[in-house]
Amino acid sequence: MADEEETNEYRWESGYEKTWEAIKEDDDGLLESNVAEIVARAKRKRAALKATGAIQLGMMRHLFVVIDASECMFLQDLKPTRFLCVLKLLELFVHEFFDLNPISQLGILTTKVKRSELVTALAGNQKKHIEALQQMKDTSCEGEPSLQNSLERAMNGLKNMPAHSSREVLVLFGSLTTCDPGDIKKTIKSLKENNIRVSIIGLAAEVRICREIAKRTGGTYNVLLDDHHLKELILNQVQPPAVAGSMEASLVKMGFPGGKTGSGDGASDSAADHAPAYCLCHIENETSCLMGNNSGYNCPQCGSRYCELPVECKQCGLTLVSAPHLARSYHHLFPIKPFIERTEVPEMTHCFACAKPFGELDPNVYECENCKQIVCLDCDLFIRETLHTCPGCASDPITAQMKTN
Amino acid sequence: MKLNVDGLLVYFPYDYIYPEQFSYMLELKHALDAKGHCLLEMPSGTGKTTTLLSLIVAYMKAHPLDLTKLVYCSRTVPEIEKVMEELRKLMNYYEKEMGMEQNILGLALSSRKNLCIHPSVSKEREGKVVDGRCYGLTASFVRARHAGDDAVPVCNFYEGFDAHGKEFPLPPGVYNLDDLKEYGQAKGWCPYFLARYTITHANIVVYSYHYLLDPKIAEVVSKEISKTSVVVFDEAHNIDNVCIDSMSVKITKRLLDKCSNSIQILETTISNMKENDNRRLEKEYQRLVEGLRDANIARETDMALVNPVLPSEILEEAVPGTIRTAEHFVAFLKRVVEYIKTRLRVQHVVQESPAGFLRDIHIKVCIDRKPLRFTAERLSSLIRTLEISDLTDFSPLVTVSHFATLVSTYTKGFTIIIEPFEDRAPTVSNPILYFSCLDSSIAIKPVFNRFQTVVITSGTLSPLDMYPKILDFHPVIMTSFTMTLARPCILPMIVSKGNDQVAMSSRYETREDTAVIRNYGNLLVEVAAAVPDGIVCFFTSYLYLETIVSSWYDQGIIDQLQRHKLLFIETQDAAETSLALINYIKACDNGRGAVLLSVARGKVSEGIDFDHHLGRAVLMFGIPYVYTQSRILRARLEYLRDQFQIRENDFLTFDAMRHAAQCLGRCMRGKTDYGIMILADKRFSRADKRSKLPKWIQEHLKDTNCNLSTEECVQISKRWLRQMAQPFSREDQLGISLLTLEQLQSEEMQKKIQQRAQAA
Repeated sequence: MADEEETNEYRWESGYEKTWEAIKEDDDGLLESNVAEIVARAKRKRAALKATGAIQLGMMRHLFVVIDASECMFLQDLKPTRFLCVLKLLELFVHEFFDLNPISQLGILTTKVKRSELVTALAGNQKKHIEALQQMKDTSCEGEPSLQNSLERAMNGLKNMPAHSSREVLVLFGSLTTCDPGDIKKTIKSLKENNIRVSIIGLAAEVRICREIAKRTGGTYNVLLDDHHLKELILNQVQPPAVAGSMEASLVKMGFPGGKTGSGDGASDSAADHAPAYCLCHIENETSCLMGNNSGYNCPQCGSRYCELPVECKQCGLTLVSAPHLARSYHHLFPIKPFIERTEVPEMTHCFACAKPFGELDPNVYECENCKQIVCLDCDLFIRETLHTCPGCASDPITAQMKTN
Repeated sequence: MKLNVDGLLVYFPYDYIYPEQFSYMLELKHALDAKGHCLLEMPSGTGKTTTLLSLIVAYMKAHPLDLTKLVYCSRTVPEIEKVMEELRKLMNYYEKEMGMEQNILGLALSSRKNLCIHPSVSKEREGKVVDGRCYGLTASFVRARHAGDDAVPVCNFYEGFDAHGKEFPLPPGVYNLDDLKEYGQAKGWCPYFLARYTITHANIVVYSYHYLLDPKIAEVVSKEISKTSVVVFDEAHNIDNVCIDSMSVKITKRLLDKCSNSIQILETTISNMKENDNRRLEKEYQRLVEGLRDANIARETDMALVNPVLPSEILEEAVPGTIRTAEHFVAFLKRVVEYIKTRLRVQHVVQESPAGFLRDIHIKVCIDRKPLRFTAERLSSLIRTLEISDLTDFSPLVTVSHFATLVSTYTKGFTIIIEPFEDRAPTVSNPILYFSCLDSSIAIKPVFNRFQTVVITSGTLSPLDMYPKILDFHPVIMTSFTMTLARPCILPMIVSKGNDQVAMSSRYETREDTAVIRNYGNLLVEVAAAVPDGIVCFFTSYLYLETIVSSWYDQGIIDQLQRHKLLFIETQDAAETSLALINYIKACDNGRGAVLLSVARGKVSEGIDFDHHLGRAVLMFGIPYVYTQSRILRARLEYLRDQFQIRENDFLTFDAMRHAAQCLGRCMRGKTDYGIMILADKRFSRADKRSKLPKWIQEHLKDTNCNLSTEECVQISKRWLRQMAQPFSREDQLGISLLTLEQLQSEEMQKKIQQRAQAA
């Protein structure tokens, strides 16, 4: 989606930019050292972001996304408009969010004309949210936003969530002003009391009150530079945050729906499981799909059938996940340690991961602390952001054993 | 950290230092070594105060004989308090590092109003009333009377101070106003008199400009400060105006009427006294015959600061016979007041020199120059003799006596202007006599002559070469420092035209043009939509502000503006303005955003800081030229041209640009701060205006940003604001605009500092 935008954006649309000013020559009149520095700096920033180690993470998240739908969202500094750009990126976000946080729930709010409206309530069904986001594209943006109203509303929704879950609000705020009915400081205070984290992404400039809210509630506040930066900022929110203070640990009841094959290998397998049934995710829509015998997942508690996981059972409220989902959350708990930067390692001549030979263009290589393997910058980023496991450690039987134990 | 500044060990109370602070110390050290005066410009928010204090204290410790005292002059009470806090930090650091109590005494001095702890007097709001009531309780004759009769009230705190305070000096330490009060309470001593007494032996004194520049006060407070002192004038960009104000007198009709009343009181008191206690009047007469010899002795031994109101020649003579007896003097005063009254009865504006005035007064009422010169001195003597305790009633008469003394003492550098009505209301008769000082060097001359080093410093002193001219002194060091920044945190822009390409300017000819006003309005609306939180706008005058706002209202611009931000306006009423300011801050704090419309040279433009979110952008609508039709100004311009060879236009531009710079500087109060500065007038882009901006602003004013339209300006601002909103931590600054000791000592940095010193 965002890739499309990359190609769609024309140079003349992006304002007065002086790209040549960003490039500086080094003493020999070369540009490379500078470019390499920029890349390396960006990388280091990301590494710093993840160098948190094993801490308690709020894996079970309840998140309200507040979308500013005030007049200023029609501005065209993000293409095609701020509003459409944000909605598009949010679709991606919702998808990624449930991918990485299968046992979490999400809700969407908008704010315009000094009021706040609920678009979708807290729910674990990503399809519903994405549909809602797509429908919102036709709605209009008008008036001024109200931070206080939307935060109050989100707070009311989050207040009653179980204490072991992480309560969060993400505000995408385009306006530079907020029109509030009362003292917003009180709202901040009660947000803090309720352990609600508010993260804000500003679309225009740094607004004091936003910074204050984020700081006081332990969230983050960022302002975008351009649409790529915005995408990065939004996707940063996908990672579960570290738990602030002490949160009670408790057991959560969860269902693992049985497989699709008909060979009765589980206790929950009964004849009803294999009878044709409507999928409950789509039961309200006309496009509801009638599923055959062996497709779909059945809730182990009430037997409702769903075409996709993860989902929250509509009948009994049980969270349904599959084992791989949980396994995917696992890497949040044990992030791989940041690799050590080495300027030159003579005995290694190529990257362990991609086998690319190190040339003179790579000033820095990276070494895994455990397996002492050396990888290049690109592989380092790939391992960190996509694989979440070090190929060196995984292929070495000893370290792999260590890790699983 | 401990620094080595050109061979001097300086204790600096912070772990990090800005490179320009180090350069500042170097220059200041050179000036102290040379025992000369200096003029230093350094941007606000770069820690001028702490730099000054740490260097001078270090110098005092290293050369205790060459430099004995620091006199730090600031403008307002909050600023004085800020200086004291910095000093406290520095002294704490010294103590920590050296591990023992420091033998340095620093104190702040303010008026009685801020220092009084008397249970009922301190409740008074007005400074004059407090002074008067204090005098009524502490004057020597009141206390003498109290000794005989317990019913006469005196101030217990003063009595306590008088009985014991002088024997036990204040222990070393740092005392701000509250500390003094606390100490006074604990000991039962009057903090005000304690502070005034302590000034003579304190190492560091912090007080307001007036205690040094206003001759009437300086005589009382500062005359015994030793020659080997360093005097610092902070925020001194307006110092010439302070000098002029302290020497100027304004006399209105009402003031004269009050004078007549006071004279009557004097008359009755004298006749009463004659009946009861003639001896005292005779004693006074004898004293006057002997003349002011004592004062003369003090001056010869170089004990006192020269008082420009009372030039040396007077002291050598006795009071002339015509005004020696009390009745004669009162009759004399009466004649003077009546004469001024007749002079105020004019139908057209009169301007004359002091010499002309003296000639006229001689012809009309037969008053010579000589007795006139003694008026002020004679009046205070008489008031003392008559034991009048309530001085508040006599302030008009004192004003007139000052006028009489000044007019007969100075024939050069002053002018008398009598206006029968104000320019704005030509039909209402409201005659005013202005006795105006034209030469700012008169009041400050004794300061330059007496003290070995005078430091004039501010965030905005450009163009630097103007100050030595108008203050008539020769600085040994004259430097402007720029700010080293890790990111471009100010964005100055000159917006010269609207989107319709109509030039924007507050020129007199186009001032009323609706196209210009509309363009100004559109600029503000668009900026308000793009800039978060607070925006401060400055107009050239209250009048211009009013006309613009009313036409914006008609054009619907106010409505558009209020959709983005709330609107506040500065007025001439101080209470109203401070209310507007409070609400402005509130609106900025809770995210609604606000626009403050104010006036250059007004209260807001001087002394109120709009740091961080309170001032994300400053707009300067037009060039803040002073009202050029004013006769006083024209007289001053003429004088400057004749005496100092300063062209009228140069001075006007200088004055306008320093005020513009002052306004722009409001939004920038530190290195983590950032702000947009928009100069909305075509004329700013001309070289003569641009080059007069402070160096630290000029440095960021790129050629490409000097002739923008509204749209371009908003476009640039938006991009810049996004960049500035990116996370910015101390680590980013380290090594560039913030140095640790190691970094400072590195060869590379030393080289850079050397280069900067040469370039400056």
